[in-house]
Amino acid sequence: MGKKRKHSETEAAPPVKNDYSAPERPKRTLLGWKDKNEDAEEPKAAPVFRNKEKVLVTCSRRISFRYRHLMLNIVSLLPHCKKDSKVEAKSSKGETLNELVELKGSSSCLFFECRKHKDLYMWMVKSPSGPSVKFLVNAVHTMEELKLTGNHLKGSRPLLTFSSNFDKDVNWKLLKEMLTQVFGIPKEHRKSKPYHDHVFAFSIVDDHIWFRNYQISVPHNEADKVARGGLDKMTLVEVGPRFCLNPIKIFGGSFGGPTLYENPFYVSPNQIRALEKRNKAGKFAKKIKAKTRRKMHELSNPLEPDEFADMWKDDE
Amino acid sequence: MSLGDDFVEDDEMNMSDEDGAASDSEAESLSDSDNEITEKLTEPTKTAVYNRDGLLDKLQDISWPEDVEWTHKLTVEIDQGQEAVDVNDDLAREMAFYTQALEGTRQVFGKLQEMGLPFLRPADYYAEMVKSDTHMEKVKSKLLYEKKQMEETEERRKARDNKKMAKEVQSQKMKERAKQKKDEIESVKKWRKQRQKSGFSEKGAGELDLEFGNGKSFQRGGGGGGGKKRPGVSPGDRSGGKGKSASRMNNKKREFRDSKFGHGGRKGLSKQNTAETTNDFKGGFRGSKAGGSNKRQKR
Repeated sequence: MGKKRKHSETEAAPPVKNDYSAPERPKRTLLGWKDKNEDAEEPKAAPVFRNKEKVLVTCSRRISFRYRHLMLNIVSLLPHCKKDSKVEAKSSKGETLNELVELKGSSSCLFFECRKHKDLYMWMVKSPSGPSVKFLVNAVHTMEELKLTGNHLKGSRPLLTFSSNFDKDVNWKLLKEMLTQVFGIPKEHRKSKPYHDHVFAFSIVDDHIWFRNYQISVPHNEADKVARGGLDKMTLVEVGPRFCLNPIKIFGGSFGGPTLYENPFYVSPNQIRALEKRNKAGKFAKKIKAKTRRKMHELSNPLEPDEFADMWKDDE
Repeated sequence: MSLGDDFVEDDEMNMSDEDGAASDSEAESLSDSDNEITEKLTEPTKTAVYNRDGLLDKLQDISWPEDVEWTHKLTVEIDQGQEAVDVNDDLAREMAFYTQALEGTRQVFGKLQEMGLPFLRPADYYAEMVKSDTHMEKVKSKLLYEKKQMEETEERRKARDNKKMAKEVQSQKMKERAKQKKDEIESVKKWRKQRQKSGFSEKGAGELDLEFGNGKSFQRGGGGGGGKKRPGVSPGDRSGGKGKSASRMNNKKREFRDSKFGHGGRKGLSKQNTAETTNDFKGGFRGSKAGGSNKRQKR
């Protein structure tokens, strides 16, 4: 056999031998009998894709009620998520959160951070080395609002619709991919329910991502066929929640890393408030300026003495 | 890694080292140029980072393999059409989202139907819903309340309109009746004149009989319209003018009192101490009529 041959060629030897001898017994492996002919040489079909997405959802302390309810709504929408307790630290946020994500074995994370009890920032992070995005969240309406009347199965897989301008640019493409992975429920997840009765709508308007969740109601009699003409009678009822995301920055690492993208149109809410205050302050200053200006003007252009000023003085 | 940098500065004033100068000038130009505060800068910050290659790399990193079945992703892209939706117009914006979702669902359902997978919930499938039953009760009650309010306002409006109409119709009727009355009086006068002229001969009487054809109209006209036949007020009646419903309810009382004290009611209470009554030891009240007529006879 291959005594004289080098180690690297021992692999090649046995298959050649097979042609002359009786067919060998199939190779025995841990999982069962593996037939040699089927093995290795021809490219095997790619392993079945399993979506093993797990999302960790947390928030910071001092989060206000509306945003807490939003977080709870999202937790109820995503059965593949895990809600964790509030995160305390202010300074070393990134490291703490990275550790937490690894500890829980999740592949992504949604972190809600509420600053000054007024502004909500949402971090969407792909875990081991993935990109992370920081959003400013506006226009929040939770599911508890009575005007949002729809309802759907808890844990049923949603249909995701994206507006076509997600494909216009790379940063939007990346965001679309991340949104699909985070908000799309894995196919045979334990807690997922079988039917599709709600739809998410992500649209980009004015450089913001708007999120809506609708319940689908369509007249039908069987589980896999819509009644004739039913597709036209389909109506959507809004379930909620509603929010609007303003991307601030995209980082290369999780919770930090090199900045890959910065939104050129983003103004932080602090700046907006500061500007408003400055404008208001400006009013008073302007008034004073106008007064002094008027005085100067009057001094420099004295009026001519009025002819009729003394007319009524004699009449007592 | 510039973890610290990007991270900490970001939140406070958004003036990180690189952007310091630029955002300062931006802020000033903002306060001068804009009268209102917009949430968006009028011109993009010049130093915004846009690392396209890096983004593409990351995209490759995280995306799922190409040949993944569509049922894993369940995504669909909808073309929005050319007109950009105005963000501030709420209705248009929501309509745009709605149509996007509707269109997407239609496409997906078509696909799913072709694939033959069950995707519609059967009527008898009961499972936990995302909103609790108590919450849905509240929603339902609110909807019903709103519906009721709307209906009530509709009714009120209709009632008001009807009243207006009714008033108009009524005034018309009144005018007609007044006119008729006038006409009839005129005709009587004319008849009288004619009779005078012709010297009260019998001949003229029959001709104008026609005028008095509807004798009814006189009576009703006399009453002043109103549709209700008022019971005539006879001179001796002391019931107090207009027949109100309250006093009509006391009809039984009235009848009883009438039977007790006779016509004339309370005011006409007959004398109590007469010759008969002083001699009456039993103290019974014997039918007023007898007493009343006695009284008169005495005088």
